[in-house]
Amino acid sequence: MNVVFAVKQYVSKMIEDSGPGMKVLLMDKETTGIVSMVYTQSEILQKEVYLFERIDSQNREIMKHLKAICFLRPTKENVDYLIQELRRPKYSIYFIYFSNVISKSDVKSLAEADEQEVVAEVQEFYGDYIAVNPHLFSLNILGCCQGRNWDPAQLSRTTQGLTALLLSLKKCPMIRYQLSSESAKRLAECVKQVITKEYELFEFRRTEVPPLLLILDRCDDAITPLLNQWTYQAMVHELLGINNNRIDLSRVPGISKDLREVVLSAENDEFYANNMYLNFAEIGSNIKNLMEDFQKKKPKEQQKLESIADMKNVKRLLQNPKVTEFDAARLVMLYALHYERHSSNSLPGLMMDLRNKGVSEKYRKLVSAIVEYGGKRVRGSDLFSPKDAVAITKQFLKGLKGVENVYTQHQPFLHETLDHLIKGKLKENLYPYLGPNTLRDRPQDIVVFIIGGATYEEALTVYNLNRTTPGVRIVLGGTTVHNTKSFLEEVLASGLHSRSKESSQVTARSTSRR
Amino acid sequence: MTEQNRGHRAMSLSAMEGLTLTCGNRRNLLTAFDRTNTESAKIRAIEKSVVPWVNDQDVPFCPDCGNKFSIRNRRHHCRLCGSIMCKKCMELISLPFANKLTSASKDSLSTHTSPSQSPNSVHGSRRGSISSVSSVSSVLDEKDDDRIRCCTHCKDTLLKREQQIDEKEHTPDIVKLYEKLRLCMEKVDQKAPEYIRMAASLNAGETTYSLEHAGDLRIEVQKVYELIDALSKKILTLGLNQDPPPHPNTLRLQRMIRYSATLFVQEKLLGLMSLPTREQFEELKKKRKQEMERKRILERQAALESQRRLKERRSDLAPRTANGEVASLRGGPAPLRKAEGWLPLSGGQGQSEDSDPLLQQIHNITSFIRQARAAGRADEVRTLQENLRQLQDEYDQQQTEKAIELSRRQAEEEDLQREQLQMLREREWEREREQFQATSLHTRTRSLDFREIRPFQLEPGREPRTHLAYALDLGSSPVQSSAAQKTPSPVSALEPVRVWSGPPALGQEPLPQSTVSQQSELASLNPFEEEDPSSPTADGTTSPPAAEPASGPSACVLKEYNPFEEEEEEAVAGNPFTNPDSPAPNPFDEEDEYPCPRPSSPPVPGNPFEEATCTNPFEMDSDSGPEGEEPIEEELLLQQIDNIKAYIFDAKQCGRLDEVELLTENLRELKRTLAKQKGGTD
Repeated sequence: MNVVFAVKQYVSKMIEDSGPGMKVLLMDKETTGIVSMVYTQSEILQKEVYLFERIDSQNREIMKHLKAICFLRPTKENVDYLIQELRRPKYSIYFIYFSNVISKSDVKSLAEADEQEVVAEVQEFYGDYIAVNPHLFSLNILGCCQGRNWDPAQLSRTTQGLTALLLSLKKCPMIRYQLSSESAKRLAECVKQVITKEYELFEFRRTEVPPLLLILDRCDDAITPLLNQWTYQAMVHELLGINNNRIDLSRVPGISKDLREVVLSAENDEFYANNMYLNFAEIGSNIKNLMEDFQKKKPKEQQKLESIADMKNVKRLLQNPKVTEFDAARLVMLYALHYERHSSNSLPGLMMDLRNKGVSEKYRKLVSAIVEYGGKRVRGSDLFSPKDAVAITKQFLKGLKGVENVYTQHQPFLHETLDHLIKGKLKENLYPYLGPNTLRDRPQDIVVFIIGGATYEEALTVYNLNRTTPGVRIVLGGTTVHNTKSFLEEVLASGLHSRSKESSQVTARSTSRR
Repeated sequence: MTEQNRGHRAMSLSAMEGLTLTCGNRRNLLTAFDRTNTESAKIRAIEKSVVPWVNDQDVPFCPDCGNKFSIRNRRHHCRLCGSIMCKKCMELISLPFANKLTSASKDSLSTHTSPSQSPNSVHGSRRGSISSVSSVSSVLDEKDDDRIRCCTHCKDTLLKREQQIDEKEHTPDIVKLYEKLRLCMEKVDQKAPEYIRMAASLNAGETTYSLEHAGDLRIEVQKVYELIDALSKKILTLGLNQDPPPHPNTLRLQRMIRYSATLFVQEKLLGLMSLPTREQFEELKKKRKQEMERKRILERQAALESQRRLKERRSDLAPRTANGEVASLRGGPAPLRKAEGWLPLSGGQGQSEDSDPLLQQIHNITSFIRQARAAGRADEVRTLQENLRQLQDEYDQQQTEKAIELSRRQAEEEDLQREQLQMLREREWEREREQFQATSLHTRTRSLDFREIRPFQLEPGREPRTHLAYALDLGSSPVQSSAAQKTPSPVSALEPVRVWSGPPALGQEPLPQSTVSQQSELASLNPFEEEDPSSPTADGTTSPPAAEPASGPSACVLKEYNPFEEEEEEAVAGNPFTNPDSPAPNPFDEEDEYPCPRPSSPPVPGNPFEEATCTNPFEMDSDSGPEGEEPIEEELLLQQIDNIKAYIFDAKQCGRLDEVELLTENLRELKRTLAKQKGGTD
């Protein structure tokens, strides 16, 4: 149940199979990301892979002294590119690996194209997802849903990613999904369909307790991605953004050229490996600068704020000129999510404040969008238990104040869900099984997938659960890994705000944008 | 075809090729012969056997140009695929060209197949294209015609194949260099670990490998590194001066190869530790030798320590055996020093901790014997076995004595009752002597104290009975007692002393005599218990702590042996009285005697004892208690010194100089300690 290891093994096997000699690795856009997550350049150089080419790049030279390893997603375009390549082979011999199930007809057309008999091997290696951490994977899909429903293309990509993950981990799971989410149900059905269709692929040695796939929807917990995340990994993602373990620093003023892009990989960076889950405050001076940077960004804003329930405080906070519009909007969003149904809800007043503060319309619209996205109506379970409600916000603010080491006090909702699942207490009326079979024993191998994206904070939760619960192995996945910004983009992309008051205007906008 | 358990799926190419055939790809090279070649029906038959020819009737037009076939425009068959075309569209293949293809394909047939492919029928027919060329050409060899007719499509394919063959045969410079580079890398991978092993060993001062050899290897490896560097540099600069400049990808490839070679050299070269210079190596060797020596010394010390412990034990045991045996035991350890140090097996030790020290000793010796036997030291085994036998005898004896003691105690208890009655009677009878009686009882308590404290003062080398007598002597010389306390050596020329100190030399003989005194002691036990409540003086209360020497503050070394001695002593005391009843009368008699003979007859054996009580040896006890320790230590030290001297002698004899050195040092230390102690006591 280590996704990094699983993908790495696939790549190693490909290189091994091709034997000695100079090699070129032919990839597409996505597989480049997949490989780069598990292999560093120097590592792969040692295996005689000297060139990395994109299958769609036109400027490739004929180099008959190289062997080509093709690792491609089985898409139509890729198959077309490959057919062209085989008609006029640029390399001496081709080892072709598809990252997922490929259709018979595609293989047929490839065979027809192989006039010069340069293909040595065609195989399916199911590394069709981004392995971020050993127990965290992503599909790098932003904006997977339109409204409450799947974007059909993304649904199929997500299905492929999930089934590939199951195949690479050799799991044929029972599936549970979040009842309140239509998209969760759809995805569950699609995965089931693939398993049924490719049943021979999914015939693994039976384990005593069958593995479990739990499909959740981000809208069940919209709070976690709105809160600041306080582990190193999460912080870096929040402030700088991590994409495929790469951090783009090109926007940072005065950064030297070779630091434009920094790779953060637990595989190769010991410091990172040791600290990625550490509480930010514990890490110390090495990244003090980052911390200072953060402090500069949002200082003193919550000085005397004890509870978001205190309206005056929220108001005053909003009027504080130091609070950026982004953070102000975020604050109101949290408030809105929390007090959505409260009788004395003064959300309109707060919205006025936001407007007065000059917060752009984009952010203001987000508030209603997020309520639409993750409001009570949508939530399958009670995110804010009466006791929790104030506690969460308190912690949020306390954390920002930096008074003491309370940074990671917020427990994502996922923790409770998984905890219940492990204890066999997860309610079946909220998270039903797909199909007639139910799991009688406590689950051991669990794959959790969050439609709409996971967060690094949740990755930490899973990491801790893995560490503290013997016999239970959990892998977390999401359509992407979010920080607050990307989450808001996701909400925006889902187009939910169209249902708000300003709907007509916004829809017009969004359509015109497209 | 599918390999689910490996988590991936492999598709055999044969399936793909099957598809190509069913698709009717005409470009597949299938052979055929020209029907027009009528000169020899035989040849044509052979040609036709290679590939089936398409029926003339089926093809009214040339498939390539579309012209209608007629008598003028005749049909021609492709010899390679059997298809039909017109003369214009017909191509010819020269024999040399065909030969080139066929000869090359022979090699490629054997090498080109990838490991996952297995030749099968479909596959074979595809390959057959070349084989058909070869069969056709072989047929044509016999004719004058040196060309093969074929269609344009077949020719196309054959030309492509030729190109492929040319590419295969032509190895670009970069490949040649690269292959050399890889060879060098392999060599490094092979040699470097060997060198590292050598260097590590040499740097540790070991002499397993020779410095010269390692140096040679180092130079060799370094040369390979230089070669790698040179080769990769050459690859990097390949074609840089060419016009037009190479494709950027080629340059990138060259850069990457160079980069990976640099990485390789950096990584491996770092692990290549340096060798010591000759001088350094000498030094290292020396250092290592010292180190080893030190280790050996440590081991030896541990061995000595264990030996000493063993000896201490034995010397404690020795007194309990007959005097003559003590001597032999003393001599015993001498051969042992040869041993590299046998420690009693830990398991045995742990278990014997709480059991009888004798048993423990026996156990230790058994393990020593085992070790000595394993080491093949027969003479030592013999001595040890002798020791063991003695110990076992001792143990047996002790056990019987214990049994006797037990019964004796029972008898004593009866006696006690009788004595009590007797005493009551006595008190009634002679009230005027009651005072005196009390003091006499007191003395008895003291004597008891004395007896029990004695183990403190006991020198391991001394015979207990000597001590007993000694104590009595002290007691019997009231005047001299203070002087006697300080110097425990047999004191002055006091008459009674001689009487009592004499017996020890006689070995077992003194027993009967000492029995009397011991008996009185034993008897005194009873009065003590009886009198305890009745004697309000300090003695009653102070004596109990003193009566527990085992837990006393002094002589930790001896501590564990105390119970044993006590037992032993009791046993000895009980020994002469085979009749358990016999001791009983004695104290009685003594008791009886007290009132009367006391003032009048000092020379009676019992008397001096009583006199001693009068002078209160208890005081002496308290004095000599703390002091008594040191002389014992001294004695031990002296003994140890003697032993070590013997070891040194032996080691010298055997020529083990390092041992001698070590032992001398030990000796020196012991002497120093002794001197210090003496200084302390004086």
